[in-house]
Amino acid sequence: MAEILAGLSAVLAWQVLGFLAIGVCLGAVFGALPGLTATMGVALLTPLTFWVSPEQGLAMLLGIYCGTIPSGGIPAILINVPGTPASIAASWDGYALTRKGQAGLALGINALASTTGQLTSIAFLAFLAFPIASFALRFGPAEYFGLTLLGVSLMAGVSGGHVLKGVLAGTLGLALALVGLDPMTAYPRYTFGMSEFLDGISFVPVMIGLFGLGEVLVQISDRQSAQVSAAAAIGRVLPRIADAKRMARATFSGAAVGTMVGAIPAAGGDIGAVIAWEQARRTSSDGDSFGKGSLSGLAASCSACNAAIGGGMTTMLTLGIPGDAVSAILIGALLIHGIQPGPLLFANNQAFVFSIVFLMIFASLLIMVIGILGAKPLAKVLSIPAPWLWAGIIVFGTVGAYALNNAVTDVWAMYAAGVAGFLFRKTQIPLGPLVLGLILGPLMESNLRRALILSRGDWSAMLTRPILLVFLAATLLSLLWPLVRARRGRAKRSQDTVPDA
Amino acid sequence: MVSRVMASLAEGHLNVPIVCEYKPGASGALAFSFVARRPSDGYTIGHAPVEIAIVRSLGYADIGPSDVSLICLVSKTAPALVVHPDSPWQSFEDFIAAAKAETGNIVMANSGIGSIWHFNILLLEQGTGARFTHLPYGGSAPALVSVIGRHSDAAVAAVGEVISHVRAGSLRALAVFDAGRAGVMAEVPTTHELGYPIGAPAWSGFYGPAGMPAERVAMLADAFKTAFETTEWAEFCRELGMEAHYLGKEDFAAFALEQQRFFESRIPQLVRLENP
Repeated sequence: MAEILAGLSAVLAWQVLGFLAIGVCLGAVFGALPGLTATMGVALLTPLTFWVSPEQGLAMLLGIYCGTIPSGGIPAILINVPGTPASIAASWDGYALTRKGQAGLALGINALASTTGQLTSIAFLAFLAFPIASFALRFGPAEYFGLTLLGVSLMAGVSGGHVLKGVLAGTLGLALALVGLDPMTAYPRYTFGMSEFLDGISFVPVMIGLFGLGEVLVQISDRQSAQVSAAAAIGRVLPRIADAKRMARATFSGAAVGTMVGAIPAAGGDIGAVIAWEQARRTSSDGDSFGKGSLSGLAASCSACNAAIGGGMTTMLTLGIPGDAVSAILIGALLIHGIQPGPLLFANNQAFVFSIVFLMIFASLLIMVIGILGAKPLAKVLSIPAPWLWAGIIVFGTVGAYALNNAVTDVWAMYAAGVAGFLFRKTQIPLGPLVLGLILGPLMESNLRRALILSRGDWSAMLTRPILLVFLAATLLSLLWPLVRARRGRAKRSQDTVPDA
Repeated sequence: MVSRVMASLAEGHLNVPIVCEYKPGASGALAFSFVARRPSDGYTIGHAPVEIAIVRSLGYADIGPSDVSLICLVSKTAPALVVHPDSPWQSFEDFIAAAKAETGNIVMANSGIGSIWHFNILLLEQGTGARFTHLPYGGSAPALVSVIGRHSDAAVAAVGEVISHVRAGSLRALAVFDAGRAGVMAEVPTTHELGYPIGAPAWSGFYGPAGMPAERVAMLADAFKTAFETTEWAEFCRELGMEAHYLGKEDFAAFALEQQRFFESRIPQLVRLENP
């Protein structure tokens, strides 16, 4: 108890809270601009924190982290361009709601569910840090392969009824993920002799192109704009109590999934959100509405991608190993300030751990207030005349694609992905599976090959690992579920249009 | 990180702000090629890690230390061999004896094929006659995590990367691959002491495009020298487990060329070692 109070009092100084607020606001801007990710925000601002005290510097970096992810959902909802990879799943239901004229409600749910996810994961960090960390450490190559296999099996779920086309897109995503240095032998694959391709296809520019530029091209070719058809409606921001009650289960189970996935090193909010969305879809009594503007679907994905923050921080603080790219940079920042993350931190400096907990709670509440108050003004984006909005998306997309690695190749990749996104939409090939393949492909391939190195090439030896078996069972369930549902006679063959995945 | 800290320390002496731009890709090959193509006015310089002496041998880019104007070297980092604290190997000798006894039974995680730490593992195999099963990861952090989680038996990574885990008791360091002991891990023996003179350290310096005027190089070297001598730099190196080490223009050029020759001559042998 004394440590909790000491931790609280260390952060209750106006300078610390001021830097936290600056961080949250900067994070909100970074998140809302596609191409500027949480990783980049934290990396860019880490050197700035050398000039302030450790508490102030940490407050700013945590503020950026907690601010970026929720605000990444804003462009995903309003213009179908995820601000960060973590918000890909949020665009599936979020943008569908905007097209129904409920942009305000979608933004409100994003703000509320994001903060719920963050607070839940912070509670896990404060009270269950060590059990979660030891679970994360049990993830060896075989377990990672199981997790990614489950992820890939969700392709059918995000295909919106066009399963064959979904598998086609997913396979294309997995194939694109092969480009670059072979993860095991470092031999260049499909690089056509260009050193720019050695590190593979950059994911963020492709994401901006597929979703952002692709959507713009579709709207231009249809000569109609989403906001006209939706009558530029914003609607109410806060959900009705009855709606909130119905979303509660999806929100909290999303938070639990997000925390666990976030705690596993190298798996972050993007994967967590997709798995949580699919889990919510499968357990929902109204699964068919997912991807077409389901409030529960949006809540689950927003909550999960934010809960991954607390999960990642848990692994970082307890084990001193990064849970994701952002916490890898945070470790460096802490070391420079003379703070050593790891088991000893919890033993010797609990007050500091609670300082972090309180900073994250404050940041999380602040971004919720910003998100709710900002919903109506932000949704005004939709009343910008369509040509201006399209031009703006193209400009920001180009800048964002370049800014990520300062590479012109990424800009071309973004344009190429934009054209591909346009053609996919026109032929009703869903984009969700392609993105899943691209995210999960490298993790899946390298870990399968590592697992086989460890088992000396023996596939059956992998089946002795309990966590892997759970994932394999879940994968089978996810593949067989549609058959089960059809037998129960609940399935109404939905031949509706593809969701804008 | 080295660049950003050095830049902030050297800025005051140059009276111009230094803008750091991050160009990742292909072991640094993309960044080396980018800087080498810029005008040689001294306003674009790059951070030269050990990889500048390696990428040509790996075939990632046709560039090496002799194709650029080297300015100075500011730090060095030795590799260390680590195992899980619950493993039966208490010393380097135990470990090597076990690796020789059961060829390929010890799983050695590395930070990626062709990375500097992977070369050190190959040098270790070559120098001791031990043979491991290699498990490649994308970077030192996941390789170390796999040892901490006991998915692999051992790893080689920078002293600075392992020191925090060694202090926390989640990894045990068996040897530092260097001639002299590492300041932050003085209790750990070196390979040279143990009778195996092996080890290729990572290092950090700065360079500009070829043909930079000598006075520009001298001016930058002076600014970095002044920055090098600050207590902040010493502190930064100590925190990250690096050795603050300065070499001027000529010494750095000689050192880098010698390193390039070393990798050029060793890489083909080491590759054969792995694929007999």
